[in-house]
Amino acid sequence: MSLVFSAITSGSDDLKAIISAISTLVEEATFVASAEGITFRGMDPSHVALIDISWPNSAFEKYECDSDIKFGVRIDEFSKLIKRAEKKDSIELGISDDNMLLVTIGKNKKYKIRLIESSASDTPLPKIPYDAKIELSSTAFDKILGDVQVVSDYLTMIATESKAEFSGKGDSGEVVIELQKGTDDVQDLSVKQESTGTYSLEYLNPVVKAVGTTTGSIICEYSSAKPLRIEFKVGNIGRIHFYLAPRVES
Amino acid sequence: MVSSSQDIRKAIEAKWNEYLSKYGNLFSSDSLSGTSPPSVFVGSYNYPKVNVGPMVPPIHGDTSLLDTPEKWIGKTLEEIVNYRLNLVRGIQKVPVSDPSGRYIENLQELAMSETATDSDIRFYKATSPVGLLDGYSAPFGPIGEIKSVKFSSSPSQRQIEKVYYDRDLLASDAVLKLYNSGIEISQIQKCFSIGMMGKKRKLVPTRWSITATDDIISKSLIDETLDYPLIDGVRVFHFEHMGNLFSVILFPYRWLYEMIEAWYSKGVLGFGSDHEDARGIDHPPEIAGAYFAAKLAVGEYLVRNQIQSGALVLREIRPEYAIPIGVWQIREGVREAMKQKPVLADSFGNALDVAAKPMSISTKEWLSHGFILKLMRQKRISDFF
Repeated sequence: MSLVFSAITSGSDDLKAIISAISTLVEEATFVASAEGITFRGMDPSHVALIDISWPNSAFEKYECDSDIKFGVRIDEFSKLIKRAEKKDSIELGISDDNMLLVTIGKNKKYKIRLIESSASDTPLPKIPYDAKIELSSTAFDKILGDVQVVSDYLTMIATESKAEFSGKGDSGEVVIELQKGTDDVQDLSVKQESTGTYSLEYLNPVVKAVGTTTGSIICEYSSAKPLRIEFKVGNIGRIHFYLAPRVES
Repeated sequence: MVSSSQDIRKAIEAKWNEYLSKYGNLFSSDSLSGTSPPSVFVGSYNYPKVNVGPMVPPIHGDTSLLDTPEKWIGKTLEEIVNYRLNLVRGIQKVPVSDPSGRYIENLQELAMSETATDSDIRFYKATSPVGLLDGYSAPFGPIGEIKSVKFSSSPSQRQIEKVYYDRDLLASDAVLKLYNSGIEISQIQKCFSIGMMGKKRKLVPTRWSITATDDIISKSLIDETLDYPLIDGVRVFHFEHMGNLFSVILFPYRWLYEMIEAWYSKGVLGFGSDHEDARGIDHPPEIAGAYFAAKLAVGEYLVRNQIQSGALVLREIRPEYAIPIGVWQIREGVREAMKQKPVLADSFGNALDVAAKPMSISTKEWLSHGFILKLMRQKRISDFF
């Protein structure tokens, strides 16, 4: 059988993280495979969040793709298969002549799933200069989100040259969590201009939980009243960019 | 000064009693001959073994008006209640999971009939009129348990027949197919409820089937609008009938929908609301069927005009609405609102003033019982492209 394209991962964690991140936003996903690697870009139906994924060929154990190809999958169906893989299992992705997605897990589990018609619209990326950049471990960020959620549906971030402040306010009360620059909590803090942004936990929580510990640290970049971009590293060179539109005062 | 709902109910009841004393023999009999609009009804009481049967008035001729709400715009509450009360409801107990057998098949044929259908029913004992009920459920004519029933044959709607015999078609796809081929929603709903669609067929109580069909159709309409450009300004629509006031505000926004209802109960104002964005709603709306009925009417307007927008629907229920007559009046009321010439507003705030003006509730009160302003604070990623 001839394959239009074939890629083999080392281990299953990266693919699991990617699929799980995408599943927080959409039910159907269209991937693009080219000689350079695999990419995905899509917004949730309400257009509040956008995921942009780049997974270069060098991140794979083996990667072959002669010509650009788009393939669409139902994320829940795809996700179910991928979850059958053990941590160490490699996963081979391919597309057959009869337009099926072939997923080989480990040595001998060979799945075939139906591809769906891919939606063709090209999504641009928001064009924003970022004034603030905060790098911290994903576990620390996950904890902050949990701390804020106790009192609020939204996370407000204030970044100054010396510290990053995470806060939330709700009917029952409020919370402030301060991280000083130069401590273990913050791996990097660079601020061109003091910036304040408020973002919905309804979107932040699921994606941070979905990527989980696969990514070591994350980078949050934003400007006042502008979208937030979170970078999750996948493997050594792949990355997920999660964009989230801000909430603003009326 | 508007009369109180008590007065209106009393007046309707008095007229109905007068009518009964004149024609009561037509209703209190152990047999009934008449023309079904056509109409079938599936009760929800005693679910999953429910009362199912045809609705037939004691008159012959083209009775279709009696159960086609799409034709009721402009009628008074009293006229519509009379339509309902004229329909005698025959029943037999049937388990919802088993819509088969001669009786159900006859009802299915009736439901897909193109024209009103002559019917002869024999009851176990004489039917007797029920009163105007509690004011919560839609009024009914007399009820009787059916011993035997005969329908004359009448031509079936071709499109419905196709869906009926297609056992591979999902119920939701069947509903959409019929809607897109121009079948009235009231007829689609009857076929849905009498177990004529889907792979695994079952009876669906009428009140649930109304919500289900409105939900399926409105969802599909809104999905279609998501690819259309945003509306270019703020438009306000208004319509009122039978003590129900509807105002609809459309504004440039990715699909965002809120419906807020207000009613007077013993002189005190009550409110209810629910909302969704393009991800849809993931729980039964607080305001139940009204939510989907209004969403459907708004969705039809957007699709017709090939635009996308945010929508706020306000519904004030006045005491004149003495007898609730069903969700259809919301669908048709908002449909009618969307046919009016809109007022163009220069801002959302201005639109709210226009929308609330014919109503007895201030914009401040409306806003404090909804979430629309809070929802609009969430920006879209596409705002930054």
